Amino acid sequence: MTPAWILDVFAAIMLVVAAVSATRLAVARPWQPGAVITDTDVSHLLMGIAMAGMLAPGLTTLPNDAWAVVFGVLAVWFGYRVVRDYQASGARALAVGHCAPHLVHSAAMIYMFLAVTTAGGGSSMAGMAGMSAMGGMSGMGALRVPTLGFVFALVLIGYTIWDLDQLSGLRHGLAAAVAGAAPALAGASAGAFGTGVVAGSDTGGAVAAATPAGAGEAAGHGTAGGARSGRMAIALLDSPGTVVGCRIAMGVTMALMLVLLL
Amino acid sequence: MTDVAVAGNRTAWRGRLGAVPVAARPSLDARRALQLGLAAIWLLDGVLQYQGFMFTNGANGFSGMLAGTAAGNPAVIAKPITWDANLVDHHIVLLNAIFATIQLLLGLGIAFRPTVRMALAASILWSIGVWWFGEGLGGVLIGGASPLNGAPGAVILYALLAVLLWPADRGTAAPFVAARAVGAHVARALWAVLWLSLAYFALTPDNRAPQGANGMIAGMESGEPVWLQDLMKGAASLTANQGLATSVALAVALLLIAVGVYLPATIAKVTLVLAIVVAALIWVFAQALGGILAGGATDVNSGPLLALLALAYWPLRIVPAAHAMTPVVAGPPVVSEKEA
Repeated sequence: MTPAWILDVFAAIMLVVAAVSATRLAVARPWQPGAVITDTDVSHLLMGIAMAGMLAPGLTTLPNDAWAVVFGVLAVWFGYRVVRDYQASGARALAVGHCAPHLVHSAAMIYMFLAVTTAGGGSSMAGMAGMSAMGGMSGMGALRVPTLGFVFALVLIGYTIWDLDQLSGLRHGLAAAVAGAAPALAGASAGAFGTGVVAGSDTGGAVAAATPAGAGEAAGHGTAGGARSGRMAIALLDSPGTVVGCRIAMGVTMALMLVLLL
Repeated sequence: MTDVAVAGNRTAWRGRLGAVPVAARPSLDARRALQLGLAAIWLLDGVLQYQGFMFTNGANGFSGMLAGTAAGNPAVIAKPITWDANLVDHHIVLLNAIFATIQLLLGLGIAFRPTVRMALAASILWSIGVWWFGEGLGGVLIGGASPLNGAPGAVILYALLAVLLWPADRGTAAPFVAARAVGAHVARALWAVLWLSLAYFALTPDNRAPQGANGMIAGMESGEPVWLQDLMKGAASLTANQGLATSVALAVALLLIAVGVYLPATIAKVTLVLAIVVAALIWVFAQALGGILAGGATDVNSGPLLALLALAYWPLRIVPAAHAMTPVVAGPPVVSEKEA
């Protein structure tokens, strides 16, 4: 059986993803009118917490059924957005759009929570207090319909590889985001707070609108050097690369979990 | 190699810095797509290596599996395998965690453009090491190798792909992706050697024995999902006591595939399709999708790699050099395809 410390490492990575996503959400100031909240951040936050709980027994938060409902809602939301993307861009949206990977992630989470069986037999774990009741991943049995699990793993790996390739192209975009933070934030301190739609994207457009809000505060309260560091940190946090990086980490970990449960 | 990419509503030029005028230029960077395919397979291998079975030692564990590949090999090959298996047996958790992480990083490294060269180079070294210490040279020296069971060792195909997909160009028109790094002559020779060796392995005495193919297929059924078992049972019954006929048919197909790349493009395409079909049939019916669904698989086996290899030899549409330097006026942004 896979050593628990390895699963703990992946659980820690998932907690980092959740923390980054939570910070991005906080920076977006959802309590203010006109704030930008990205659905991908919400998705990453919830998946990070759920997956950490599946990997490490001590991190379990909700029963499996509850998580299945949560990811069911997310799947419906991303499904709706994929349909909209498809109507706008055609089949290309499935390959390069950002919603399709999140739809697959959500569906894979539902599958894992509903299809896992106990190590001793075929009874469902649904309703039990998370995977920890079986000692986390190391105590679980296998997935029902393993072929579907394998297909999910393949698709997740495919999206992960694609994301990484695209992230390579964002290298310069990331640097530009940091370099361009100062002028952007100068506008922010002058009162140019961003507004946007609730359903943002991880391509940076909507997130960029939120950047001035958080950065303006950093500029207002910190020293010059501290403000610059803060601006850079927020620019990095808000960069598309951060979101894609989170998705890559999540895709690899989810594929790992699926394979371990085959 | 960097492509010039000038976007916007001004004139854009497509060309290549520091190289001779581009005589052949695929409209889509097929090589990068194949590199991503290779990366995906490495990533899957890395994930598979984290499975519980891989962390078990003893005769029935992962280290026992490694030790088993020494049997029948010459001493000079077998002794290092035995030494390695003992080492793994004593430090199974640490070493396997390292093995899995290396494979994971190889996949991620190939997919990330700035590290593609480093990752491909590392993958070649790693593949050669695993081919020896993990697969006993694929059984090619002991007569047990067969195209059906992954000869000449699935992992050596990773190394071959890494060489053929190396991000470099020889400056001349490449008729297919695999020729871009090593040249058409070398690439065709490598292809022919591989597929001819597979044809040879198909005809070895063990494999042409009456129950040769049948036994190999039946041996992979255990633990597979019912639908896959049913498919394999069908294949096993078809080949029961038909070892010689199966071997000859397979060898003929492999022979055609081997010479196909030397034929005109249209015929070459037919043989490449045949290669992909043969690879798919072998992967499903003889290799049980690499045994992944039964648990305990260390890799995807040779089927997907052979298919990927065939795609690397798919004839490219040649763009005349004059056209390659023709300005593209007011077109959409041209995506640069810098390859580290």
